[in-house]
Formats: sequence, structure tokens, C-alpha cells
Amino acid sequence: MSASLILLISACIYLGIGVPVAFALGLSTVTALVLSDAYPMLALLKETFTGVDSFPLMAVPFFILAAELMSGGSLTEVLLKFAGQFVGHKRGGLGYTNVVSLTFFSGISGSALADAAGPGSMLIRMMDKAGYGRPYAAALTASTAIVGPIIPPSIIMIIYALADDNVSVGALFMAGLIPGLLIAAAMCVVNFYISKQRNYKGDGQMPSGTEILRTTWKALPAVLLPVLILGGMRAGWFTPTEASVVAVFYALVCGKYIYRTLEWAAVPDILARSALLTASVLLIIGTSASFAWILTIEGMPQMVANWISGMNLSTWGFLIVINIFLLIFGIFIEPLPGVMVLVPILAPVAAKLGIDPIHFAMVVIYNLTLGMITPPVGGLLFVTSNVSKVPLSELTRELKPFLLAHGVVLVLLTFVPALSNWLPHVMGFK
Amino acid sequence: MKKFEDYFLAFNRWSLILILGVMSVIIFTNVVLRYTTDQSIEWAEEVARHMMIWLTFLGCGPVLRYGGHIAIENLQDALPTRAAQLLRLLIALLITGFCIFAIWFGLQYMDRTQYQITPATQISFAWIYLALPLGMAMTLIHWLLIVRSYIARREFASDAHFDATASASL
Repeated sequence: MSASLILLISACIYLGIGVPVAFALGLSTVTALVLSDAYPMLALLKETFTGVDSFPLMAVPFFILAAELMSGGSLTEVLLKFAGQFVGHKRGGLGYTNVVSLTFFSGISGSALADAAGPGSMLIRMMDKAGYGRPYAAALTASTAIVGPIIPPSIIMIIYALADDNVSVGALFMAGLIPGLLIAAAMCVVNFYISKQRNYKGDGQMPSGTEILRTTWKALPAVLLPVLILGGMRAGWFTPTEASVVAVFYALVCGKYIYRTLEWAAVPDILARSALLTASVLLIIGTSASFAWILTIEGMPQMVANWISGMNLSTWGFLIVINIFLLIFGIFIEPLPGVMVLVPILAPVAAKLGIDPIHFAMVVIYNLTLGMITPPVGGLLFVTSNVSKVPLSELTRELKPFLLAHGVVLVLLTFVPALSNWLPHVMGFK
Repeated sequence: MKKFEDYFLAFNRWSLILILGVMSVIIFTNVVLRYTTDQSIEWAEEVARHMMIWLTFLGCGPVLRYGGHIAIENLQDALPTRAAQLLRLLIALLITGFCIFAIWFGLQYMDRTQYQITPATQISFAWIYLALPLGMAMTLIHWLLIVRSYIARREFASDAHFDATASASL
């Protein structure tokens, strides 16, 4: 039996019985090496170290830290108020507030879970108090949190750019803007219909002009962070990693001197929490690096490429097959190991078929991220159910219209490449 | 025992805080220097990268302690209590075995690379790769401290310092 076959089978078994992902990937690599005896054991360690020892990857801990520093203060409330003033008074107002503020928050955080666990849990509580069903609030939050990794900065995009040399972090960040806004709009549409159907009332009145100006002024530093990151990278001021560390100190200054809610005493805790989040991400990077190495060295990319070109698919046909495959794959596998293992195999095939690498990247990232809210297994479902205390079954029931809306956006993104690659090309990113 | 656990945890926590803090300061200083004086610290990138390796493996233990490593737990939830416990015993053995394995081969890897010298800081690579065996040894200790409640009830430790719900993946 070939090493890669043992690798894949053992990975399925370990993951299936509930071994944590980082350990399951490492264990299956060990199993494959021991059983097939084809490669030296130390090669595994070398690949693991090489996977983690990367300067571009350092943007991950820094963006995590920047988001933790930003949300450590009262920023969440500021953003909530800022978002609420435009949409809060309409029917289903708190629902829109939820979507808009999570979208803004995505410009600070790079992950869906951070969105759902932080401002998301606060919004669920507010919606519950205002008479929206708690399961509905949780479903809305979980499906909106998907924009976290789509709108820059995005952890998963940094990792994608490492796995595929044909795209840069800057281009992917830029590419995520329009799809991210599209997803947010789709969630608003669902909220519109459900609020109408169930008559969820709006809240208060549109605030006065000066009030709006004041709230906007307060929210400005936070809203400007993604502009600073993207602009700085585009202008060539800094690399993505440098942009991320600038974001850290920007967040520090904002929290300490502008919002004045960040205490020095809280900084060690924020550092510790960010360090742990970083470690959990990087461990998966390390173990999946050696996992992907075996697949690559055994010629898996060529095998898949030959197999797919044997099917004589058109570009669109290929994209449809990829979508279905990724949706099923994404149900069981989290986006991070998914990107690490699949991108080195699939990206070359897509490039050969003439699919724009940026477009393909968006399709892959969106698909795999959707896996976090497709039942029965999904990180985002678990976290949202956990923070909202809504049982998984009720959450899943309320999720249906949102999943449908996501499906529509996915089809659009798949068949209209310009939605992903127009903006980065216009802005001059490669 | 409780005392040992407290000190051990504090040591691990503060080492992570220092590593991430210093990493940020080094890289930020480097960016600032490049714009203000046109000079950059030549060892900055290398040192920060190697600190990130240390961060990864020293962080493994606490992440395990707080249940921050993501896992698919549907099978356990579907099984009756007794069977789920047996399954978790198997998982516990696998994780323990992996730690021991990583310590053993990590030490060999250090041995193999001890004469290679890092380009900028001119120290032995063994000091960088020590992160793996040491980190996994500490992970093993963390694991043994919580493994009984994990097997019995899938319960992890909880402290105010880490929010387990905001765990792991993206």
C-alpha cells in the first residue's frame, strides 16, 4: 500500500474518532511513515519546522494580537452603535445592526470564530432581549461571521498565499472586499424577509445628524484599520507581516489613548490569549505541512491533475465539480487544514485550466469557510451554540434560509470571476 | 502537586507572553528604523522567526489543557457514556504516544543539526529545534494533569486567562 493511501485512511480514522486535528494529522503522518517505511522519520520533523519557520506566516500572530487588543477595549460597543444608527430603527433593525457591525468587525479580526465569540455573542443577547428568537439571532450571527475570513485582514488568506505561489496576500485581501459585502447584503435580505414574516420591530428613531457625526467620529479609528493595512501594502510601505505588526501598535495606541479602555495590566492576558490562539493555528500548519509533503512527494498533485483532465471538463464544469467536492470536504474538515492540504493539489490544476488564481482562491476559501456552518460538524456552529446556549438542532433549523442565501452568493462568485479579481487588478495587486 | 501545577502553568504562560511581546517589539522596531534611519536590524527577522517556532511548541500544552485543539466529537456524543469513555481512553493513549514519539525524534533531530549554525545570530540550530522536544515534554505534563477528567467527562481545565470558546481554527 502506498504511503499516501495509508496517510489518507489513517487521517480519516483519527479525525473520525475525535483526535484533535493537529494531533490527528501528525499521527497519520507517523503512521504512514512507520507502515510504509518509505521515508526517513526525520524528514517529517524537517517539513514541520519548515512549515512554521516563515516570515510571511508571522502575520498570523500579529493580526490575532491586533484584533485582541482592539476588541479588548470598548470598541465592540462603539462599532455596534455606529452600525445601529443607520439601520436600527428599521423593521428587523437589530438584525441589520448585527450584520453591519460584524462586517465592520471583520475589518479588524481575521477569523470567523473571533467574530462570533466576541461581538456576536453580545449581539445575540441584545436581539434576545428585544424579542427576536434566540435561535434566529444565533443563526444570523453564525452565518454572518463567515465574512470574518473573507473581508481583510484574513488569517486563512495569509495561509492560502503561502500554499499557492501565484497569489499574494495583498491581492487576496483586496479580492475579499466585494464578496464580503455581497455576503453581508445577502444576510440582510434574509433578515428582511424573516423580520417581515415574524414582524420583528425596529428600535427607536434615526438619530440626529450631529449625533451620527459624533458616533462616526468615534468609530473612525477602528473603521480605518483595514484601510491602513490595505493602503500601506498597496503603496509599498510595508509587507503583509509588517502591516500586521503596525496594526498591533495602532490597536495599542487606539485602545490606550483614543478609546482609553485598554489597561496596561490587561496586556499580559491579551498576549497570552493571542499566543495560545497562534499556537493552535501554527501547530496545524506544522503538522499539515508534513502531511501535504507526503502527498506531494508521492505525486498526488499530478495524479489528480491527470484524473481531472481525463474527465475532459470545461472550466465551468471543473468549477462545479470543485464546488461540490469542497462543500462535502468542508463539512468535515476545517478551512485551515483544508487549505494546507488541498491547495497545493488543486491550485495547479485550476491554473492549467486557465482559471484566474485569485478567483479560484476566493472560491476555495468561501467554500471551506462555509463548511464551518454546515451541519453536523462546524466550528462556527459549535462556538455560536456555545455562547448563545441555543441547542445545535434549533440553530440548524433557523440556519436554512441563510444557507440558501450563501448558496446563491457562492454560485455568483463561482460564475462571475470579476467579483473576485476585478478590484485587485484595478488596484494594481498581483 | 497543586503548587507544582501553578508554578508550571505560570512559567509556561509567562514564557508565551514574553515571546509574543518581544517578537512584536523587534519587528515593529525594525519597520520604524527602516523609515527613520534607513537602517534595519539584520538579525530581527531571523530571531523573530525562531521565536515563533518556540511559541508554537510551548503553546501546544496550554492549548491542549484548555481544550483549544479542535476535534470532531460527534462520534463520542452518539455513543453511550461507557463506550465514549473507552474511545477517549484510546484518544488519550494516541496523544500520549505522539508526544513521546515527538520528544524522542525531536532529540535526535537536535543531535543531527547541532553543528549547523544560524546565519545571523551564529548559534547552533539545536537551540531552535530544542523547542520541539521541550514543548512536547511540557505538553505531556499538561496532558497528564487533565487526562483523567478528559477521559471521564471530556472536561478540560478552565482559567480566566484563556477563552476556550474562541479556540483553534478560523
